[in-house]
Amino acid sequence: MPSRPALPLRPESIDQLNGQVPDWLVASRRQGLGFFEKLDMPSSAEEVWRYVDLPFRLEDLMLAPPPAAGMDDGDDVAGSLGSMAGQATIIDGTVTDLQVNEEGVVFVSLRDGLADHEDALSVLFGSGIAPDLDVFSAAHHAFAHDGVFLKVPANRSVERPFYIDVQATAEGTVSFPHITLAIEANAEASVVVGFRSPAGIFLVVNPQIEAFVNDGARLKLSTVQRFGYDTHSIAHERVLIGRDANARLGEVGLGGRLGRLHLTLDVAGRGASTDLVGLYFGEQEQTLDYRLFMNHLGSNTSSNVFLKGAVEDDARSVFTGLVKIEKDIAKVSAFETNRNLVLSEGASAHSVPNLEILSNDVICGHGSTVGPLEEEPLYYLMSRGLSEARAARLLVHGFFEEVINRLPHPALAAPVREAVNRKFVQAQQEGRV
Amino acid sequence: MTSAALLIRDVRASVGDTVILKGVDLEVPFGELHAIMGPNGSGKSTLCHVLTGKQDYTVDGSAELGGIELLDKSVTDRARLGLMQGFQYPVEIAGVGLREFLEEIADERAIPNEQLEARVAAMAGEFDMEPFLDRAVNVDLSGGEKKRSEIFQMAVLAPTVAILDEIDSGLDIDAVREVAEAVESMRSPDMAVVMITHYSRILRYLTPDRIHVMMNGRIVESGGPELAGELEDGGYEAVRERLGIELSALPPRRKAASEYFTDTPFDS
Repeated sequence: MPSRPALPLRPESIDQLNGQVPDWLVASRRQGLGFFEKLDMPSSAEEVWRYVDLPFRLEDLMLAPPPAAGMDDGDDVAGSLGSMAGQATIIDGTVTDLQVNEEGVVFVSLRDGLADHEDALSVLFGSGIAPDLDVFSAAHHAFAHDGVFLKVPANRSVERPFYIDVQATAEGTVSFPHITLAIEANAEASVVVGFRSPAGIFLVVNPQIEAFVNDGARLKLSTVQRFGYDTHSIAHERVLIGRDANARLGEVGLGGRLGRLHLTLDVAGRGASTDLVGLYFGEQEQTLDYRLFMNHLGSNTSSNVFLKGAVEDDARSVFTGLVKIEKDIAKVSAFETNRNLVLSEGASAHSVPNLEILSNDVICGHGSTVGPLEEEPLYYLMSRGLSEARAARLLVHGFFEEVINRLPHPALAAPVREAVNRKFVQAQQEGRV
Repeated sequence: MTSAALLIRDVRASVGDTVILKGVDLEVPFGELHAIMGPNGSGKSTLCHVLTGKQDYTVDGSAELGGIELLDKSVTDRARLGLMQGFQYPVEIAGVGLREFLEEIADERAIPNEQLEARVAAMAGEFDMEPFLDRAVNVDLSGGEKKRSEIFQMAVLAPTVAILDEIDSGLDIDAVREVAEAVESMRSPDMAVVMITHYSRILRYLTPDRIHVMMNGRIVESGGPELAGELEDGGYEAVRERLGIELSALPPRRKAASEYFTDTPFDS
């Protein structure tokens, strides 16, 4: 592993990241740098950043140095997955460990991938998320220097999951872990990405996940975000879904002072389909911020979004979901549901589903609720002899159970369920709800 | 054991300035099934809520379950003492299975697990509830199935006093008969059943020991099963005229919990 000091986010730092890189990557970094220097830090006056306060400026942070050691405590997500097709660890934006247990698939660090798989990477790497989307994406394009590249070749079906453990550990730094997933025609793959960081250390993470689900391919992709409390995570994810291809996505957001996901799903090919199931649970002064852009670009496409969240203490959650259906496409079905529990007076949930329909031949549905635990179910449970606290616990458990049971990776149900229940029980025991 | 499972003396209840119950007396011995009937607004559902402790009524009087005063207890404690309500509108509990729900209750009430399992197995057979044990409580059940689930839960938990609030409402005639049969098979010498109902049709399929008619917040008439015949023929109007009672206005409707939710309007 190359050794270098922490670097400022400045142009001269870029050359020290990987040493010699191909011209197309140099150009891509320069382009990112150009936007990074031009774009301002976002303000909550912009609609897509509404309700979000950023207590730092990117230029005040250092680019994380190569990591000394990762987190050694047990990773319950990894533990739940059982036998894996491959496993990688990214610490502070640098791949520190990678194993692959399947023949005939590409599962490499980007650093190594540049040497052996440049053809594919030169087309795919960084093409999922536009560098001028915001200053974070610009910085990512300029400074991302490592990550994981998965390519499952056409007609290959890999049942076991690939697991990527993304950690952030260095105080006062920003890291740019990058994940590129290429599922080629009629292939099948399953990927779980876990995010974690120690509590009590201020740092920023700016991951990008780009997934290319080619014609007839199937991808199951789950992310489990359980960063420490002082982590600010601004993630971008984009999934492009080809003809008759299917992507099942699970998004779990539990940690971080700020946990933001800007998620773009392009249901592009004819007959493409996607299901997104997710949950988030905020406490203390967390902001969990979901910005979903669902783009139906092809005929006979379908999408189904089911997200549930809860907030307690002074936490805040945001869901904005824009479903856009292009003109001149037919037989589109798009459903979007977002339900929120507000468990403390100081907490707030904002839910804004939106549709932009330019075609006539669509079936759409949307639902959005924000509110406290309902009185009627509480009373019903108490009238059977449950204490109010236990009745509330059972209702919160049941509320999330509907999404937990639909996550694309059933193995994740146990650790996610436990984390969610623990959050609420702790708040109850400390009298916060 | 005292002679009465449920002994209600001079229970009065009001919400704000509106007096709803004006002195209700009722005694239900162990093993008996009593029906409380009355027109809308007569106070019979309020009586049920006052007994289970649902709302912030101002309540006076006394209601003892097996000799223990209920009215100063919480909803939870009344249930633990042996009071159980079968709901007019059983509430859907998303994501919580019926068996899981019963296990939670048993755990909280220190009922041994083997004992619960045995009762669940026996009663699920008796009430045809096996297919529903691992489904979410009341979710996607028909009206009749929900009511059967309520009675099944009672049979498992074996309360001292079971109050069935409009258990026959919203059911077609076959479902009413099924529910009536379920109530009959739930009865035991250790349990008193109070059935609150607006319509007399369920009384075609089961025979209460006593029938009480409520009007204007009081029990105005009590009698044997033959009272059902008079109500079936002449309705509450006949009883009202015979007793010379003027009906007062309906109490105000309470806001439903669901109305506190804000559905975000969709702008398209």
